[in-house]
Amino acid sequence: MFTPELFAQALIAGVVIGVIYALMALGITFIYSIVKMINWSMGEFYMIGSYAQYLIVVYLLGPNMWWLAAVLSALSVFLIGWLVEPVLIKPMFTGGIERKDDYATVVTIALLLLLRNLATAISGPYQRTPGTTLGAVMLGPLPESGARFAAFLCALAAIALFYVLLRLSWLGLALRAASQSRVGAQTSGVDVLALDKIAFGIGVGLAGLAGALLAPVFMVYPTNGVVTTTKGFEIIVIGGLGSIPGALIAGVLLGIAESLGSTFIASAYQNAYGFLLLLAVLALRPSGLFGERVRQA
Amino acid sequence: MSVPILETRKLTKRFGGFLANSEIDFSVAGGEIRGIIGPNGAGKSTFVNLMTGVHPPTSGDVLLSGESVIALEPHEIARKGLVRSFQVARVFGNLTLLDNLLAPHLAQTLGATAHRVGLDKARRLLDLIKLDRLADHPAKALSGGQRVLLQVAAGFMMPSLTCYLLDEPFAGVNPVIKDTLMDLIEAENRAKSVSFVVVSHEMAVMRRLCHKITVLIEGKVVAEGSLDEVAARQDVVRAYLGKGYA
Repeated sequence: MFTPELFAQALIAGVVIGVIYALMALGITFIYSIVKMINWSMGEFYMIGSYAQYLIVVYLLGPNMWWLAAVLSALSVFLIGWLVEPVLIKPMFTGGIERKDDYATVVTIALLLLLRNLATAISGPYQRTPGTTLGAVMLGPLPESGARFAAFLCALAAIALFYVLLRLSWLGLALRAASQSRVGAQTSGVDVLALDKIAFGIGVGLAGLAGALLAPVFMVYPTNGVVTTTKGFEIIVIGGLGSIPGALIAGVLLGIAESLGSTFIASAYQNAYGFLLLLAVLALRPSGLFGERVRQA
Repeated sequence: MSVPILETRKLTKRFGGFLANSEIDFSVAGGEIRGIIGPNGAGKSTFVNLMTGVHPPTSGDVLLSGESVIALEPHEIARKGLVRSFQVARVFGNLTLLDNLLAPHLAQTLGATAHRVGLDKARRLLDLIKLDRLADHPAKALSGGQRVLLQVAAGFMMPSLTCYLLDEPFAGVNPVIKDTLMDLIEAENRAKSVSFVVVSHEMAVMRRLCHKITVLIEGKVVAEGSLDEVAARQDVVRAYLGKGYA
């Protein structure tokens, strides 16, 4: 049944979850724009982030310090990414700075399998939760889960921080330059290989943050990254690969489409609505909402 | 005699069976503007790529102020002062003109005043190349010739710059921009005694800028001297015009 209140609630719920999805998409698109490859193991870094959150909350800080735990979880995932890139990704790009991405992409699929099975071996297939002490929040007359809303606020803060880093810092300028021309940046004196490590770390760190924030909402288990990764890639296709505003707007659109669809049509098909949106965008704008057609040199 | 700013010793590059550069011995003095000419496919761009670390040489050595740079990464070579431009201008399309110029400056100098110093310098350069009114526009809005200007100017932003390799900076550039570019090169050469190596086909440009010309044919240095000297050489004319003309 359609009422304006229900519509507003579904809309807000959609925006809230959409912004968190966008974190994931931002990570994928950011790694692509610098390192020039698709990282298929994003969901596993999301998973590591959620386990880190679980461990830190349960064994160290307690549920009241969830926000500090989320920051620490994201930082540890950043560190893992920063260490993994030079060992696994960089050696795949042989022969200079202008590189092929195929091997690196396949390596991330292998990494996905390794991490997922490692998690199963270590923690078993059980679903865990760090728990939350946050009660429901009233948005106007409408209730929203406290943990979800907190995750939303943190995701917004992380996106704002990411934007400031990219726009106002020297590192951001170097990253933006490298995303335009790797050789150009390198011959300007920028150490592009060092940037690759940082970009990979930041990208998977964003996924880790999403995992940490959503740990009390979607639970912690070895394959919990699958759904959010799928959504991350849907968002990338909708928004256009390589576009940061595209990732944000498409993330929110996807969240709204899912939320409205499951409220007013049928909640069983929640994951299908995003794909319908995806198909519509592909039919109308094949390069995505903000995508640029790439000219192959 | 003082140590040359840039020197190559038996620099060689083989692509499979094709010998692109063959034992090139080459030396540029501090403050010199050197020209490199040669017909298409003579190995000029390969030579520039080898010297700046973009491609590894098969054998031979490159020395910058007497110090070998062969084992260094391209960004390390640039930071040591050997800077280059590309034949197809590699500007950062989505960055503003100012940011395009700031990037190479900040790649070498960080600190509290670096940003302001870089900004001042960038605005001065944009003035010189007459692109100041586009300072806050993205570089992808520029024409081909303006891109070349911006790219060459970006090299001057590097604080360490001592030797600048310009790979065909005048190709497809209109006469006004060509003049601007030559003025810029001469000004930086006089003011800071920056050395230049200019690869070009434009004989008028070569005559005005370069004290000495090196002729590269089929990957080898075949002549060196003033433009008139090398133009008088039978083998040079033959390589350019075909066997029937000499």
